Amino acid sequence: MFKISLNIIACFKWVVDHEDIKVNPETNELVLDRAGYRISDYDRFAIEEAVALSEQYGGSTTAVTVGFPAAKKSLKDALARGPEKAIFINDPAFANLEPSQTAAILAQSINNQEFDLIICGEGSGDLYAQQVGPRLAEHLNIPCASFVRKITIEGRELIAERRVDEGIEIISMPLPALVTVLPEINSPRVPGLKDTLAASKKPVVEITGSDLEETVPCLETVEIKATTMERNCEKFDANEDDLKRFVEVLLRAGVID
Amino acid sequence: MAEDKFTAIIVGAGPAGSTAAYMLAREGIDVLLIERGETPGSKNMFGGRMYSYVLHRIIPEFWEEAPLERQVSREVITMLDGEKSASISCQNENWAKPPYHSFTLLRAEFDAWLAAQAEDAGAMLACGIRVDDVIMEGNRIIGIRAGEDEILADVVIAADGANSIISEKAGLRSKLSPADLATGVKQVIELPAKTIEERFNLQPGTGVAHLYAGTCTRGMPGGGFLYTNKSSISLGLVIKASELQKNQHLLVDLVEDFKSQPSIAPLISGGEVVEYSAHLVPEGGISMAPRLFSDGILVTGDAAGFCINLGYMVRGMDLAIASGEAAARSVMEAVKKDDFSANSLGIYKDLLAKNGVWPVMETYHRAPQLLDTRRLYSNYPALLNNLLVEMFTIDGTPPVNLMDKLKQQVKNSNTSFINLIGDAWKGGRSL
Amino acid sequence: MAGVWVFAENYEHGLELLQIGRSLADKTGVELTAFACGDKEVGQQYIYYGAHQVFILPPLAEDQPLETYVPAIAEVARQEDPDIFLFAATLRGKEIAARVAARLNTGLCSECIELDIKDNKLEMKRVLYGGAALQTIICKTRPQMATIPVHTFTSVTDLDNTRQGIIKEFDPISSTPVKVRDRQPRAQESGDITRSRVLVCVGRGVEKEEDLKLARELAEILGGDLACTRPIAEELHWMPQETYIGLSGQTVKPELYIGLGISGQIQHTTGIRDSRIICTINKDEDAPIFKISDYGIVGDLYKVVPFLSQELARLKKK
Ligand SMILES: Cc1cc2nc3c(=O)[nH]c(=O)nc-3n(C[C@H](O)[C@H](O)[C@H](O)COP(=O)(O)OP(=O)(O)OC[C@H]3O[C@@H](n4cnc5c(N)ncnc54)[C@H](O)[C@@H]3O)c2cc1C
Ligand SMILES: Cc1cc2nc3c(=O)[nH]c(=O)nc-3n(C[C@H](O)[C@H](O)[C@H](O)COP(=O)(O)OP(=O)(O)OC[C@H]3O[C@@H](n4cnc5c(N)ncnc54)[C@H](O)[C@@H]3O)c2cc1C
Ligand SMILES: Nc1ncnc2c1ncn2[C@@H]1O[C@H](COP(=O)(O)O)[C@@H](O)[C@H]1O
Repeated sequence: MFKISLNIIACFKWVVDHEDIKVNPETNELVLDRAGYRISDYDRFAIEEAVALSEQYGGSTTAVTVGFPAAKKSLKDALARGPEKAIFINDPAFANLEPSQTAAILAQSINNQEFDLIICGEGSGDLYAQQVGPRLAEHLNIPCASFVRKITIEGRELIAERRVDEGIEIISMPLPALVTVLPEINSPRVPGLKDTLAASKKPVVEITGSDLEETVPCLETVEIKATTMERNCEKFDANEDDLKRFVEVLLRAGVID
Repeated sequence: MAEDKFTAIIVGAGPAGSTAAYMLAREGIDVLLIERGETPGSKNMFGGRMYSYVLHRIIPEFWEEAPLERQVSREVITMLDGEKSASISCQNENWAKPPYHSFTLLRAEFDAWLAAQAEDAGAMLACGIRVDDVIMEGNRIIGIRAGEDEILADVVIAADGANSIISEKAGLRSKLSPADLATGVKQVIELPAKTIEERFNLQPGTGVAHLYAGTCTRGMPGGGFLYTNKSSISLGLVIKASELQKNQHLLVDLVEDFKSQPSIAPLISGGEVVEYSAHLVPEGGISMAPRLFSDGILVTGDAAGFCINLGYMVRGMDLAIASGEAAARSVMEAVKKDDFSANSLGIYKDLLAKNGVWPVMETYHRAPQLLDTRRLYSNYPALLNNLLVEMFTIDGTPPVNLMDKLKQQVKNSNTSFINLIGDAWKGGRSL
Repeated sequence: MAGVWVFAENYEHGLELLQIGRSLADKTGVELTAFACGDKEVGQQYIYYGAHQVFILPPLAEDQPLETYVPAIAEVARQEDPDIFLFAATLRGKEIAARVAARLNTGLCSECIELDIKDNKLEMKRVLYGGAALQTIICKTRPQMATIPVHTFTSVTDLDNTRQGIIKEFDPISSTPVKVRDRQPRAQESGDITRSRVLVCVGRGVEKEEDLKLARELAEILGGDLACTRPIAEELHWMPQETYIGLSGQTVKPELYIGLGISGQIQHTTGIRDSRIICTINKDEDAPIFKISDYGIVGDLYKVVPFLSQELARLKKK
């Protein structure tokens, strides 16, 4: 296969690990201060796809994240997954951005980079708003395809298989373009020791809030409460008596006839 | 092939490994710290309390920065005998003043913090990587292997915990047998800080270390523990692994039993179990210790057996940190001489002797035999409880003097005065 | 015309949005506008169902994707300045909404599951952190936008063939560089699990693909359908995409949900929140799924399921 040489940007977010989220039982508020962070699960697929495409067609990959200072920890992890360099758009004020701001910040930072393709996850692990990708494409005025499960490059055209509600749509669009990818698109590699060592030698470009125009949120959070799911929680064993009793309970509840 | 090379590779980012990495990095020595967990501490557990003196020596006033739970100001030992229990409690407010005597803490946060200190000092930290083997050249260790990757080093420090595969692969010790190990289980139970302070009669910030002997282990050698954290309680059991195997008791059942003891249940009622874990404790004492060094390798912390299990209490964090300190200093000397042979690294033994680890291990070298004294786990708690219960029970029956009561109880408890005196002697010498 | 606007790529979802759009418009005393994609007939129906105004988007060339409408939708919204703009959260609907919002420099509440008017502002609720939390938000810019998951609201029923409304047609739309090369409809018609009365849902606890027949048998006896967790569809490909439940899959509201070998991760359970009765079978008694089950059986599904099927079949014969 002849080499096309693609400059690919993969966008990833450093998100709170949902398994560490605690709830204050009195106020039903979330307690996040002791939670760990990780690269958003969906964004691992974005990084993998970028790296795999640049391996296949030649070129290089840049991993980009917008975050607050603690997100610095994510860079080594991201770079261990294969990209050649990272851009860390960092500001203490970037802790709780809403998608319109994230997209605007990314657009400003990416604008003067050379790129052929931007890959985003289908949605971030915490907000899962599924907005940043398409919004970013609009800011940069490039074509966009979301929920993509397969990418091939033909010259300066990108062919994407994307999911739509009725099935699959196969589209083509000229580069530069943006796609958001589904988890089924690949299986992210697990970085080994050498990858991790190599990662710490790769360049990281840092951009701070003061280098950018300020963004104002459009959305305002009124409150965030833990979801509760009150259920019966009756347990049965797997012995015959219990199972018969289980069937009876269902009969009585009127859910089976 | 291996093109990367470090002066030191440290396997395991527990307290031993992170301390060694921190000290070496601080000296500008290039060191790689490898941890199999996704983050340091994510796979680690312990009872709940660390004595402060060693870390204070290495990172003065570490309590200003480190994620800690409570300063322990009260120690309690309880003998359990079914529905009866007898406790000795000791409180010292000085323990809760700088330099604090000991802290309760949670490993996931503490280990991550300590590893971050090493990283900030310049150590290279690689998480999510399991070291599978060492690379040998003749008898010399020259690096490690993780998956496909091989990395070379002048010296490898095994800090990989109780079940150290590094010291095994390096030929420094044989496979561990259950007789050399205890199994620890632990639950973290969440309760509001205020509730904990009320139930245990504590100030905000201060905590209690509570140790249990007696029926909680169903007569098996071991004991129970309970530590107060900020807004949770760590409790669990440590039981000799070989006995557990023999008796086929399920750990879950034992823990549930322990939690339902009348003197414990009210302390934890309403709390939610948020964590459940099990871990090995080395308990052979110095008799099970591997060779501590060889050409190109040093062994620290639990991997070296530097852990003391007194049945009702496990102490290993301070020894792990101190041995990590000694290992780091040994490597510094070796770097100066550019000699990483066993001969050069042998200074480790002297440094352990000087910094207190070895004397502690020697002092407690009889603890393992004491632990095998089964009377400790059933007869004596019963004896003490019956004695006290009889002493405090006034029901109109004619009084008996205390010595006669004791004689009677000793007789009832299927033991003899000879045993009692012998065990007391053993205990005095071992502890 | 300001007021409440709704956009859905198909007629059925359009009727759901008309229902909620109507109630919001009534509460704020404004008019209701709907978009119809390339079909005047649909537009006319929307008016019969209560829209005051309908925009008929022109039919697209065969090789044009639905997103080609984005500039036109954004442009008319810029001119007419609606208060509220709702989109059906189909896969394409989500992309279109995000891109329109970007063009209008406004906020968008994704997958909004509850909407209300408070102090003349649209108050919207959505889940965060994979379903662990519920966030209430307002949008400070205009229009206040949201995408609404399909089937969140029932369809309008209030049909009145005499209603009059304004129908506006768009000029033809210039094509975009994005071209559709091919469309492949869903391989198998997998039924719509969002409408099932009884769902038997399988998770990773099922070891082999052929073991799905145990679950299928149980579903048949109960007159229900088969659903699954995400790994079964996305990683193992044992079942079609449309049959997995959860945050990134379907939200279901059956009378009875029976989960087999499912651990109960929040991303899955957030999709079954509105089920009437939740039953689960898991061999691990500490599995989180039991905390959100009405009736949980602690046991091996390979023993429990055949027994239940047999027992239920026996009762049925009687
Ligand atoms: C139930 C229980 C209660 C205890 N209570 C107390 C107490 O209250 N106070 C106290 O002081 N001590 C207590 N201890 C003992 C204490 O936990 C240990 O002595 C101490 O953790 C030893 O530190 P370490 O660094 O040597 O090993 P560890 O803390 O075990 O750390 C070893 C590290 O190496 C990593 N690792 C292992 N193998 C590999 C590999 N192949 N590749 C890469 N990484 C690897 C592990 O993931 C781990 O992070 C308790 C122990 C138990 C089990
Ligand atoms: C952002 C994000 C979005 C996601 N969205 C979704 C989503 O929409 N839907 C979704 O489903 N997942 C989703 N996931 C994935 C989700 O987190 C879980 O990984 C997934 O739901 C787990 O599926 P499971 O319960 O089938 O498998 P597991 O978690 O592997 O559970 C299998 C269970 O089966 C039990 N078991 C095993 N053998 C038996 C037996 N013989 N009998 C009885 N029980 C047995 C085990 O005890 C275990 O509890 C998402 C994840 C992320 C990060
Ligand atoms: N803070 C961020 N930094 C970089 N990329 C992001 C950030 N937030 C979101 N993204 C990208 O946008 C996608 C969708 O995010 P969201 O709109 O928040 O669901 C994610 O999968 C990422 O690829």
